[in-house]
Amino acid sequence: MSEFVQLLIAGLMVGSIYGLIGIGFTTIYNVTGIVNFAQGDFAMIGALSAIMLHESGLSLGLAIALAIVLVGVIAAVIERVAVRPIGTHVTRGIVATIGIGVVLQGAAALIWGSDAQPMPGFSGERPFNLGGTTVLPQALWIFGTSAALMLLLYLFFRHTYPGKIMRACAINPFAAQLMGIRLGALRTFSFFLSGAVGAVGGIIIAPIALTQYDSGISLGIKGFVACIIGGFGNPVGAAVGGLLLGILEAMSSGFVSSGFKDAISFALLLVFLAVRPGGLLGDLEKVGRRHGT
Amino acid sequence: MGREDMGRDDMGRAHDLLRYLVLAAVLVAVRMFGGNYLTNLANFVAIQAIPAIGLSLLMGYTGQISLGHAAFYGLGAYASVLLASHAGIDPWLALLVSAALVGFIGWAFGWLVFRLQGHYLAMATLGFGIIVHVCLVEFRDWTGGPDGLTGIAPLQLAGHALKSDKQMFPLLWAVCALMIFFSESLVRSPLGLVMRGVADNSKVVASLGTSPDRLKRMVLMISAVYAALAGGLYARYIGYLSPGPFDVGFSIKLLLMVAIGGFARIWGVLFGVAFVALASEALRPLGDYDTVVFGLLLVVAVVYCREGLLVAAWNAARGVVRFERRRAA
Repeated sequence: MSEFVQLLIAGLMVGSIYGLIGIGFTTIYNVTGIVNFAQGDFAMIGALSAIMLHESGLSLGLAIALAIVLVGVIAAVIERVAVRPIGTHVTRGIVATIGIGVVLQGAAALIWGSDAQPMPGFSGERPFNLGGTTVLPQALWIFGTSAALMLLLYLFFRHTYPGKIMRACAINPFAAQLMGIRLGALRTFSFFLSGAVGAVGGIIIAPIALTQYDSGISLGIKGFVACIIGGFGNPVGAAVGGLLLGILEAMSSGFVSSGFKDAISFALLLVFLAVRPGGLLGDLEKVGRRHGT
Repeated sequence: MGREDMGRDDMGRAHDLLRYLVLAAVLVAVRMFGGNYLTNLANFVAIQAIPAIGLSLLMGYTGQISLGHAAFYGLGAYASVLLASHAGIDPWLALLVSAALVGFIGWAFGWLVFRLQGHYLAMATLGFGIIVHVCLVEFRDWTGGPDGLTGIAPLQLAGHALKSDKQMFPLLWAVCALMIFFSESLVRSPLGLVMRGVADNSKVVASLGTSPDRLKRMVLMISAVYAALAGGLYARYIGYLSPGPFDVGFSIKLLLMVAIGGFARIWGVLFGVAFVALASEALRPLGDYDTVVFGLLLVVAVVYCREGLLVAAWNAARGVVRFERRRAA
């Protein structure tokens, strides 16, 4: 039983990160119609630059804040230079953002080398006992930060003016433009927001998982799978999908085989795509609605 | 994606013949004057051009993305070796049988995924690529796991083992040229027209009484056969297999080659493969910079040079000439 709880906690931890990455995908997709395949690399760059800034003598909090802003700015620049010229062409968007991901990974390998880098826990490394299972203090940071961030984003999208504008663009970009919404600026902002959220995800998991130049690939793919499970374009779905995926992964590596962990989550992806491409919370018609031929 | 000018077909076969002649001249020059190094490089261009052209048929002409093409390449490589070693089939026959087998896998996979489009399709194919790669690593009893399979016997032709770079060279390029010829014929055929139709607007194709999904499955099958055949040749040429070269990174490299070539241009893709091979060699002294350069190339090719690097360079040169002429006038 205790092993089960242990795995459940591990799964929830990783799952929150997948959820955050998934929300990053959703933010960009809803405004631009582009699926950003470099999403996971935002998390990687965020973690590595926070580690570098912290090592250069800044306090941990300041280093993290700077890293988050830095990744947001990088994402905004990417939107202007490489994504906006594409418009809404889906396949070109995919290939171009894959290229951006390759550039980010290559740059990270040049700047930080190919060694995995550790990050100190936000409040110590000593695990404590919680009802018979040992828990790392970082686990609480991960749960707390992701829950708070998700709540903030929810409030932002539901109850603030810029958030409502972004939702309006998701529903009908053309009509939104007719209402005087500047789509270009909003696209850049969505990349900024998505980069910042991705960076938070990468940074809060860095103390329990070493980060290296290619850590972003699997994070990005898992975040995408989380989106599919929850229904693409639905931020709440992405969060739920992330948690489910995290738990499934932890259980399968605990009870089946850790080598097959990735294969199992992709088999799940294929099953979802084949049986219910609209995800758990989405409806089937949405799949072809926006990008139908 | 990039649409070739249909009217150019009239300019006729003389133009194509010229391309084959130029290719033949380059190959003869490499074979006669090039050392082992150049021959080896040319061999790899041939091996990688085959799956790249297959991917161009699927992505460029039919407009369906695949991020898992390395999987077909890897399945072809492993299947051809395992069929020969475990089932005792002649290596040549195993090459063909494994290509047919992988073609069937491609067809069946297409049956599963071609209800999807855009990024759903991209992720499904990516997932397929990763699952196959994990299986190559984990099914140790069959594939040897991360250590791979060693001691793969070279192909025999009329009692001679095709071992060295120079011995494999004619075979690899013969297969590659055959694939180029077959692809060109396919693209020119009425079926090729339907493929372009599916890329542009599959609803129109469906309304004209052709099933777009069936066509997509068929093109994926052909594309998988290309990749598997190249994989089998690769295994026999290198004599050693490990899962490393068949990961997602190779799928993305194929994407880069096709993008540089301008997606729907068979000869352009051949240029793309050669360009990437030469660029890798040129960047080798710079160490890790090659990843960044290739990533940038991919972005630039897709965002700014939609017809491929060669056409973009040609247009730029023509623009400069025109500008100079106008200034002189």
